[in-house]
Amino acid sequence: MKQFLITGVGMAMIAASVPPATAQSIFPYQHEKRVLENGLTVVMIPMESPGLVAYYSVVRTGSRDEVEKGKSGFAHFFEHMMFRGTENFPGPVYDSIMTSIGADANAYTTDDYTAYHLNFAKDDLERVIQLESDRFQFLHYTEADFQTEAGAVYGEYRKGITSPWWVLNEYMQNLAYDVHTYKHTTIGFEPDIKAMPQAFEYAGSFFSRYYRPDNVVVVVAGDFNPDATFALIERYYGGWEKGYVKPAIPAEPKQRAPRDGEVRYGGKTLPIIDVAFKGDPFDPENSDYVAALLLGDLAFGENSDLYKKLVIQEQKVQFIAASTPMNRDLPLFEIYSMVKSENDIGYVKDEISRVLKQFQTVAVDTKRLDDLKRRNKYSFLMGLDTPDNVAGGLARLVALTGGIDVVDGLYAKMDEVTPDDIMKAANKYFTPERRTTVVLKGAK
Amino acid sequence: MKRSDIALTLAGVLAATMVSACSPSAEDTVLLPVKNDPSISFRIWFKVGSQNDPVGKEGLAQLTASMLTDASTTNNSYEEILDKLYPLAANYDAATSVEMTVASGRTHRDNVLEFYPLFMDALLRPAFREEDLERIRSQMLNYLENSLRYASDEDLGKAVLYNDIFAGTPYGHLTAGTVKGIRSITIDDIRSFYQQHFTRENFVIGLAGSYDDNLLEMIRGDLASLPEGHGLQIDKPKPAPIDGMQVTIVEKDAPATAISMGFPIDIVRGSREWYALAVANSWLGEHRNSSSHLYQVIREERGLNYGDYSYIENFPEGSRRQMPPQNVSRRQQIFEIWIRPVPHEVRHFAIRAALREFRMLVENGMTGEDFELTRNFLSKYVLHYAPTTMERLGYALDDRFYGVQGSHLELFRKMMGEVTLEDVNSAIRKYWQYGNMQIAIITKDAEGMKEMLVSDVESPITYSSPKAASVLEEDKEIIRFPLDIKAENVKIVEVGGLFEE
Repeated sequence: MKQFLITGVGMAMIAASVPPATAQSIFPYQHEKRVLENGLTVVMIPMESPGLVAYYSVVRTGSRDEVEKGKSGFAHFFEHMMFRGTENFPGPVYDSIMTSIGADANAYTTDDYTAYHLNFAKDDLERVIQLESDRFQFLHYTEADFQTEAGAVYGEYRKGITSPWWVLNEYMQNLAYDVHTYKHTTIGFEPDIKAMPQAFEYAGSFFSRYYRPDNVVVVVAGDFNPDATFALIERYYGGWEKGYVKPAIPAEPKQRAPRDGEVRYGGKTLPIIDVAFKGDPFDPENSDYVAALLLGDLAFGENSDLYKKLVIQEQKVQFIAASTPMNRDLPLFEIYSMVKSENDIGYVKDEISRVLKQFQTVAVDTKRLDDLKRRNKYSFLMGLDTPDNVAGGLARLVALTGGIDVVDGLYAKMDEVTPDDIMKAANKYFTPERRTTVVLKGAK
Repeated sequence: MKRSDIALTLAGVLAATMVSACSPSAEDTVLLPVKNDPSISFRIWFKVGSQNDPVGKEGLAQLTASMLTDASTTNNSYEEILDKLYPLAANYDAATSVEMTVASGRTHRDNVLEFYPLFMDALLRPAFREEDLERIRSQMLNYLENSLRYASDEDLGKAVLYNDIFAGTPYGHLTAGTVKGIRSITIDDIRSFYQQHFTRENFVIGLAGSYDDNLLEMIRGDLASLPEGHGLQIDKPKPAPIDGMQVTIVEKDAPATAISMGFPIDIVRGSREWYALAVANSWLGEHRNSSSHLYQVIREERGLNYGDYSYIENFPEGSRRQMPPQNVSRRQQIFEIWIRPVPHEVRHFAIRAALREFRMLVENGMTGEDFELTRNFLSKYVLHYAPTTMERLGYALDDRFYGVQGSHLELFRKMMGEVTLEDVNSAIRKYWQYGNMQIAIITKDAEGMKEMLVSDVESPITYSSPKAASVLEEDKEIIRFPLDIKAENVKIVEVGGLFEE
């Protein structure tokens, strides 16, 4: 087990210590970031959580990085393969050790990243570091295991496709994007999933390009000693060779006209309207983008005028909501509504347009904006109650920026947003040239 | 007391010196002080659930609870409530299960003065307006008629299983009710249900986090304004004995086959035997965990689906939750096996594989090695069942429900050091059997499925990838494993008619 022979000696770290939480900082815990010589970034957040530790390995690769034709869904498939063991710890041995640790261990894949996460008792920290470092460096599986796991992935697709939301999202992404990899959902196109068993060699190349220390951030939160923990991480991960190969993700050409589509769902459902607009990549310095993060909730959130009108007063829709996600590349800012009658689809679309127009021409009430800022602050603070919620809640920002220093800057920037900024963002993003509208209807 | 008065009083008491020691838990309270938690968690448990739904008004308990927490009060319209809660990032809601209704809320302590009066208004001063009823009724009907029937076959399978096992008892319909029941409920039904069950002698206060005793006294004082009454306690249900293998096949244009199966068990948490049985169940099918043996056999070795688990306590929303829920306690539990959707061509095989494993466990018991591994696993794994203060408060209320002395989670860990292999195997023999079971199958070509089951024809399997010799050898046993299902015990139903009445 050669990785165990490597010690911290001679492994100069690129120190990047961050001062503890200050009065200006919204983040309530001390934290520090250190980077190994091979590029592995380690974010440590000690916090009171008697005996418990959360350990996240955030691979900054997701379905966005699936650039090769016919290989959509591979980041997610690969996440499954990471549980198949190594030569040091073959699958059954790995499983048996994890069982003896009694860890709450799992993983998930998104468009922009893949996260492997464990919650466990602090006494098992070294064991976890050992196991995690081992599988990230020395993953080993047979072609037969690979093909068997492809069956489980297809099973995951089959259980999900019964949901109208699944059908809607697949259709929307495919219609809204021309060439960017956001064209497919994270689980991938069904024909690609079917063909996964034949992609054994490709899997090796995927691992070798993306599962590299310079593409991974380890986040540790909870009851642990940072210095001792970092020493262990240096010892176990130090021999991992850098070598991340950045994928050439096709740039999405500028959309020039609105797009419209309609998709049928095989089961029964009320119709769903999804109005999407191409946004901007995550950038806390981009004041338009930060204002847009707030705009969705102001215009379509549960105390918005439109929500009150359509959901509570007129009762024409089951719900309406907006999503303004944070992504590495240009995401879709979306407005969803489930409409009670097909006859009202046109009306609800018109109402969405009317409200967007209103936000483009009339400044939002300052109190509503202040209420939202206060809500965001408390929502963030109340979500930081366990090591898992801290590490998990920060995983996307870690994937986007390589650390958590951005948190304070992002919230400070949100605090500065004015009603004029909101209007400017409404005019920038919510235009016909950026729009794709999809209506999903159920079986008669 | 007007709301403004409440706020002033509360401001005064919170400004006063914090009292460090809390009152001991009285009859009506479950307390969990956590001084360094910046939030305060509330759970007010009313001893009422869907078992109390009147016949023909199925869904009334849940609808009534929603009319408290998702609707107007006499002080504020629903829109005003949303406006007032919005900046607090605080919320409250009510969850109804068969025996419990728990109104819960959580707020940052900075905001408790604004949050608390709204929460109490919801419980004490509901407006019961027609327009709120129509909005909530529409949501519940949409759930029954569309989401449950069509959007998730695995949730559908579980719902059919529970309804079959408890048919004819107060547990025999979904908490969400029936289409006919929901359609028939009036404001008067809700008002009278509220007056009968949301009463002074029928609740337990759960309070946790950085509250102080004055807040507790205020809650007690406010809830004392509820009408007198003990609610309506009903007997524990007696599900009809299952004779042989009883099957319901739901005909549906499904992309894959979802399967759930089980039978009632007469044991609930708190006894040594329950913890012994929990060891066996964890080994067989720990929820969403690769340590599950069923998962190993069906998913890991054969790649047939996404996961396979088993349960000795009700576990709603299994497709969305990683850890067990709180406040879904019930006096009558079932043992349940959940096979996540498998390709139609292996549906017969998958049922056989699961039942064969279960039968071997019942007949042979656990091995010493598996027992040691599993109890060590559980002694640590239960640490993850309740990481937040709100979840621990939920468990504390459930302890009250089951009459567990102390804490179930602490007892669970303690028992993992005490139960023996003999305890486990004796609990298996006492509570589990494989001959009498209810099976729910969501699939297409229901007639074809029935024919396979009844004829007990072999269910050969082919794989697109090489499998270990041991797997192929085992398959020879599985494909002919006898299910002993009689034609008269197989019922085929159309999905469109489910949960209608």
